[in-house]
Amino acid sequence: MNQLKLTVSILATAGLLFFIAACAQMGTLPSLPASHPEALAIGQQVNCAECHEDQQKGTLKPYKAFNHSPVFVKSHRFYAASDDRLCSTCHKSSFCNDCHTNKVQIKPSTKFGNRPDREMQHRGNFMTMHKIEGKLDPASCYRCHGRANNERCIQCHR
Amino acid sequence: MKNVWCTVVCAVSFATASSIALAADVSVDTSTLLGIGQRDVSGAKSETLLPATQFLGLDVDKLADGNLSLHLYGWGRADLADNSYNRENVDGNFTYGYLQYRFKEANANARLGRMFIHEGIVNEQIDGLSARTDLPAGFGISTFAGAVVHGKKLSGETSDGKGDTIAGGRATYRYLGMLELGLSGLFEAKAPSLVSHINSSHRLMGGDLYFSPHKMVTLMGQSSYSPETKSVAEHSYLLSVKPLEGLIVSGEFNEHRSGGYLSAASLFSTMPSYKPNERSRVIGGSSSYQISKSIGVAADYKHYTRTLGNADRFGADARLSFSDNSIRGGFGYHYLRASQGFAITPYISASYHELRGYLLHETKGYFAALDVIAYLFKEKLFNEKSAWEGTISLGYHLTPALALSGDVSYGKNPEFTDETKGLLRLTYNTTFDIKGGK
Ligand code: HEC
Ligand code: HEC
Ligand code: HEC
Ligand code: HEC
Ligand code: HEC
Repeated sequence: MNQLKLTVSILATAGLLFFIAACAQMGTLPSLPASHPEALAIGQQVNCAECHEDQQKGTLKPYKAFNHSPVFVKSHRFYAASDDRLCSTCHKSSFCNDCHTNKVQIKPSTKFGNRPDREMQHRGNFMTMHKIEGKLDPASCYRCHGRANNERCIQCHR
Repeated sequence: MKNVWCTVVCAVSFATASSIALAADVSVDTSTLLGIGQRDVSGAKSETLLPATQFLGLDVDKLADGNLSLHLYGWGRADLADNSYNRENVDGNFTYGYLQYRFKEANANARLGRMFIHEGIVNEQIDGLSARTDLPAGFGISTFAGAVVHGKKLSGETSDGKGDTIAGGRATYRYLGMLELGLSGLFEAKAPSLVSHINSSHRLMGGDLYFSPHKMVTLMGQSSYSPETKSVAEHSYLLSVKPLEGLIVSGEFNEHRSGGYLSAASLFSTMPSYKPNERSRVIGGSSSYQISKSIGVAADYKHYTRTLGNADRFGADARLSFSDNSIRGGFGYHYLRASQGFAITPYISASYHELRGYLLHETKGYFAALDVIAYLFKEKLFNEKSAWEGTISLGYHLTPALALSGDVSYGKNPEFTDETKGLLRLTYNTTFDIKGGK
């Protein structure tokens, strides 16, 4: 019963939102393009300022804020939390899922063994090192292995 | 079921890659990996691993009135040798698959299917519906609802410990490009009761912030609270300062309460070191400076505090790029000094040095890479003072989109005396194109 109520209220809110979304279309609020108009080379730490002037456009944050410096890559979660749709003009969801996989059981650094220049987590013998890293900061592991209940882990962590 | 999915993925990949890819507005990404491994586990017989994994991504744009699109991604695996890693021989997973309708204005869109949601404090994978839109005067709203994507059942339980349905959303206010305030929350149906694991219903509410009072300074982060366990879940903030072109200095503050944050994931709330009332902190800073087009340097520091003890990690990396970025390299050093509490049972030290170096060369035709990582332990671990792993990768572009590559890696690990692995990789669509990038 509770489940049913929840589902109904969920669908009602979603329906309402969809309706609002449809109405908003009639407005004149600008949209980001579906995809970034310029193809970019891989293997670079994209410097947005190379092509974009720092001009204020509506509620868009300054382009420079998204320069892919090593600091940006390490802390991209802060940017993704509020600008997911900007990320998706350049990145397919699958790009993110290369590192944020659910159950694939292949380390991203193995899948992309030909790209050692990328910031992939768990390089080297992580099976051993995780026993230290997991104690150090389990919250950082929870981000990927928490809700996505990793099959691999339960084999040992019962 | 898994069997079917694997067969479907494999069949569809090859069929689509070769034929549909020619049609406009369809983009296919496939990656076939064949792993070949030999692992000598000390004191046990050597294992042969031979998993073949097929990844498939399909994006179909401009459907119906031109604003509808379909996005699919998944993988299937067949084990050509028996029982590698004690896994099932055939496996597969549907990572996402959704229809998206994109409105021309107000960044509005609606999605239906399996998808990932990243909105403020919300990070979920659902089977359901999501919608978002900007509203006048800088406001915006997004919402989602649907079924939880379940993981594998916990051992000795009849579920993975998660509720069945989930809903949530985020409301935002933006002022020019300098301020964004978000309020978000999620509500998952009551978590099932478990026999031997700890869990709690996954319910969170919180806020997120982006504030850039000056173009050199940005503060961003989020705080969340679990009404279910009446506990703060997370405070996580990043302050970044860009005093010069190419220079970033940032400071980070993270605080977690196990009861609020980890308790909704049984995997973590059942870990030996889990304490429901624990407050843990990670405070640190990192900085990167692009000295010239070909040299960039970065340094980082983190201080960890838990009931188990405390630890510091610091280190530095350099990145090099030559010949128009076609030759790239890097090296780095990090040291972790950690209290004894973080050591692997029954060892006494968790401190170690980490060294890494890599080099790669890419041309239109071939590409090659070399990667080495080494650990030097302060005290012996599994009777070893050090461990290392090296990988050599060589590849060739059969066409600009189709590439074949092979990796060989050798590792001297403390637990497995040594391990040699090979990997063959056939990838289609290796480029970063205009249609949704990569
Ligand atoms: C190689 C050059 C280049 C780089 C690097 C680049 N862009 Fe662009 N970008 C363009 C071009 C060209 C356009 C289309 C013209 C325009 O709108 O400025 C564009 C358009 C955009 C738009 C759409 C603007 C609108 O209102 O329609 C966004 C958003 C954007 N870029 C974001 C970024 C971000 C963020 C980065 C850095 C991560 C970046 N770009 C890096 C060339 C580039
Ligand atoms: C203008 C296009 C553009 C935008 C917008 C953009 N990126 Fe990227 N991003 C790239 C390119 C190009 C790469 C390099 C990919 C490669 O080397 O294979 C990249 C790489 C990355 C990487 C991987 C870095 C590594 O070393 O492995 C992450 C993580 C990332 N982006 C996150 C984000 C997030 C989060 C956002 C949104 C806040 C975002 N990106 C927005 C173009 C973009
Ligand atoms: C190169 C690997 C890599 C790629 C590619 C990548 N991420 Fe991440 N992501 C990480 C790591 C590692 C963390 C954990 C960072 C930490 O603990 O601070 C993370 C954390 C996150 C989080 C925080 C999750 C949580 O539960 O708090 C979000 C959101 C996120 N990433 C979004 C994205 C998006 C969106 C993309 C694609 C544009 C992306 N990531 C691509 C490695 C990656
Ligand atoms: C950005 C997401 C992400 C984060 C953050 C993350 N992991 Fe992983 N982890 C993965 C992926 C993807 C795999 C490969 C898939 C698999 O083995 O299931 C993996 C694999 C592993 C493995 C198996 C390694 C092997 O040799 O096969 C262990 C152990 C592990 N992770 C532990 C951790 C621990 C401990 C943390 C926190 C310190 C952590 N992970 C943080 C994504 C992540
Ligand atoms: C091959 C068995 C094995 C696998 C697979 C495995 N672990 Fe572990 N894990 C261990 C062992 C052993 C320890 C160390 C326990 C100790 O020293 O007290 C450990 C420790 C941990 C810890 C710290 C435990 C604590 O006391 O808080 C975390 C967190 C962790 N693992 C996460 C993961 C995650 C996430 C995965 C899956 C991606 C995973 N592990 C997969 C064997 C494994």
